[in-house]
Amino acid sequence: MIKLNNLKNILKVSSILLILLQLSCVQDKKRENIIVASAGKIDSLDPAQANTLRTLQILSALGDTLYKIDKDGNLSPILAKDLPKVSKDGLLIDIPLRENISFHDGTSFNAKAMRFSLNRFMSIGTLNYLLNEKIEDIQVKDEFLLRIKLKKPSSSIKSLLTSVNLTPVSPNSYSNYTDKFNNKSFIGTGPYFLESFSPNQQTIKPFIKYWGKKPLNNGIDFINYSNSSSLFGAIKTKEIDVLISNSIDDMQRLTLNNMVNNDKLNSGEGNPIEIGYITFKSNTLPLINKAIREALSYTIDRELIARQVSFGTRKPLRSIVPPHLRNKKFSPWSKYNPNLARTLLKKEGFCNTNILTIPLTFRSNVPADKLLALTWRDQIKKDLSDCLIITLNGVESTTVYKQLSEGAFEAVILDWTGAYPDPEAYLTPLLSCTKIDNNNCLEGEAVFSGSFWGDSKVQELLEKSEELEGEKRLETLTKAEQLAANASSYLPVWLVKPKAWSLKDISQPEFSSNGLIILKNLKRD
Amino acid sequence: MLWIISTLVFILLRIAPGDPVDAILGTRANEFARASLRIKLGLDKPLINQYLEYLNHLIHGNLGVSLNTQEPVKVIISKALPASIELAIFAILIASLVGYLIGFLGAVKPEGRIDFLGRIFGIGTYALPPFWAAMLIQIIFAVLLGWLPIGGRLPPGMSPPPSITGFLIIDSILNKNLEMIFSSFKHLMLPSFTLGILLSGIFSRSLRLNLEEILKKDYIEAAKSRGLNDSRILIKHALPNTLLPILTITGLTVSSLIGGALLIEITFSWPGIALGLQEAINQRDYPVVQGIVVIISSIVVMISVGIDIAIAYIDPRVSY
Repeated sequence: MIKLNNLKNILKVSSILLILLQLSCVQDKKRENIIVASAGKIDSLDPAQANTLRTLQILSALGDTLYKIDKDGNLSPILAKDLPKVSKDGLLIDIPLRENISFHDGTSFNAKAMRFSLNRFMSIGTLNYLLNEKIEDIQVKDEFLLRIKLKKPSSSIKSLLTSVNLTPVSPNSYSNYTDKFNNKSFIGTGPYFLESFSPNQQTIKPFIKYWGKKPLNNGIDFINYSNSSSLFGAIKTKEIDVLISNSIDDMQRLTLNNMVNNDKLNSGEGNPIEIGYITFKSNTLPLINKAIREALSYTIDRELIARQVSFGTRKPLRSIVPPHLRNKKFSPWSKYNPNLARTLLKKEGFCNTNILTIPLTFRSNVPADKLLALTWRDQIKKDLSDCLIITLNGVESTTVYKQLSEGAFEAVILDWTGAYPDPEAYLTPLLSCTKIDNNNCLEGEAVFSGSFWGDSKVQELLEKSEELEGEKRLETLTKAEQLAANASSYLPVWLVKPKAWSLKDISQPEFSSNGLIILKNLKRD
Repeated sequence: MLWIISTLVFILLRIAPGDPVDAILGTRANEFARASLRIKLGLDKPLINQYLEYLNHLIHGNLGVSLNTQEPVKVIISKALPASIELAIFAILIASLVGYLIGFLGAVKPEGRIDFLGRIFGIGTYALPPFWAAMLIQIIFAVLLGWLPIGGRLPPGMSPPPSITGFLIIDSILNKNLEMIFSSFKHLMLPSFTLGILLSGIFSRSLRLNLEEILKKDYIEAAKSRGLNDSRILIKHALPNTLLPILTITGLTVSSLIGGALLIEITFSWPGIALGLQEAINQRDYPVVQGIVVIISSIVVMISVGIDIAIAYIDPRVSY
């Protein structure tokens, strides 16, 4: 009897505790701020150091860029008053700046502030080589007129000026940070100011004196969870208002998309900016043989892979430039055709008794890579088991990046997101090569990308495109891409669209051309 | 011991593939940018010089600065360690309560129903993969039932109280913030419960086995023959003698948990030292990895010495 009473007491106490906890977690009052969640913490808010999507996302709300790429793919001024004026020799770019704009610390934005920010980035920025290779000097011609002197003509510099990394910072607040990073604060000109910062949570509030369109919400809390399941659970339980798609597993993306279809969530997606591809090391046997690379490019069924691996959330891709960055449709890589692959391999002396083995490396910490590798291997096993075998090798991504330029991988699955929305931001990092010996790249970006494939004609076209504008420039870049497709040293697989899901009482997320959510447009009903 | 560990960490990090410069700049940076950063971070110096400099700093209590954020490693550790200690303490409390209770009841009536279920529980929790158990508990209690939060230390949007001790619950109490006390406690429940339950299996098994063995000893038989009642024998004679192995196991578990329970911290997005260590390893942030390992090792050594002293104090047979 005594034992039974004890049990009853324990149950009573537990129930009271549970009720108390439940009461404390009831969140029936409307949140003031909109809670946006993604994976990965933020260690630094310095635009000179920002290199993750999450950091760029928050910086895009705290700062403004000189220009943006609009929906039609044209350059459109933001902090600049007008489009840049380029001198006849292409070496001087004049940028008129907007007046009456103030930083969050109350100081004025002008050409000196812009020069300070660009020089600071060129001095300490982790991606400063992007500018240092192009810019000779930055001059203040007038209080609101900036002049950029180039080392050589560069049409891509204008797209580069849309980069969030180049958002201006207040010279007054950053005077002690000219040669070091300012990790925990940010003083820019954007629609929001930073209210609080910790690596796991950042709060931004509308900047009352903002010169442009005011935010439609009362502020944003950025939070991070370390894994996809937690992020998925958090939006399902309404702990968060908006979920950004980076690091969400494909299976959970599918479930979220189903919730959108069932009218339980809103969703928005931006232009695809991330490509998934396979690099073939093209300077050693067996893949130095172009016919074998070509054969491999016929073996991949992108539709099947997109369906099996990503449940259709990633789109098949047969170019290395995302299609929306061109004015016309262009898919230079060949379609799935195992018969043609067999013919080519037979011609090279493979099949029947002589089976070609290709080791394929995937990043073991990227689930989609592993699934892609497994699917492709099994597809080849089904189609061409008498000619070709793919062996798999999982390596952690940091090691892959380190060993890529050392030529450690015959074939490796990678992805790439251009630093700015321009074909050049995809072609140059994969194809550019400054020292070429018989299609073997000895120095240049193609070494860092692990293909070691270089072509003087491609290099010539890439350099020529820097001197051209508009359609002619795009045509030149298209020719370069066609040559790359003919060489088959890369195998584009899929295209990933940035996506975000929001609760029903939050407006549909909208994206800018660089794949970031326009936070000031988020609104709670 | 600490010297060996710090040296080993230094060497292993340099042997491991991957480069902090790559992690910071990405793979596309040109050679000039790489070389500049290498000089800035001091990675251009010969390894022996880097090692001697590292040891010199270590002796003077300087753990260096993060290669990635330029923040002092001490500050990074002082932010993350309290979260892990908080989690460890609550997990050990739950593990001790559940584990030792089950183990005790099982040993009192061997082969009984409680003993049988307790053994299954012990084997089950020991055999469960922690990440799987954590995800399952998260799905049930956070997603399906919605009783407890998914992860983190505080609800989204809630700013932490001004840091006094770094321990969120204590700081909330010191700041007299009732909402914060409830919230931080609620966020601690799932990860500590998961970790506690997973550990309780080892605790219950160890107590049961030790107690069972001690109950077969001659002095227990002697006590019985003197007519002492069962509960007195159990509490006064048997239980104190199981204290030594239990103390050792509990102490070692605590010290291993201070180093963080990586899978639990990842699953519940708990910003502890293990999560920090994992991120630092991914970024090849040498000073942070070295600093965390040295601090964790020091704590483990201190706890081990503490246990030895406690054993010597409790057990008159042990002398140093």
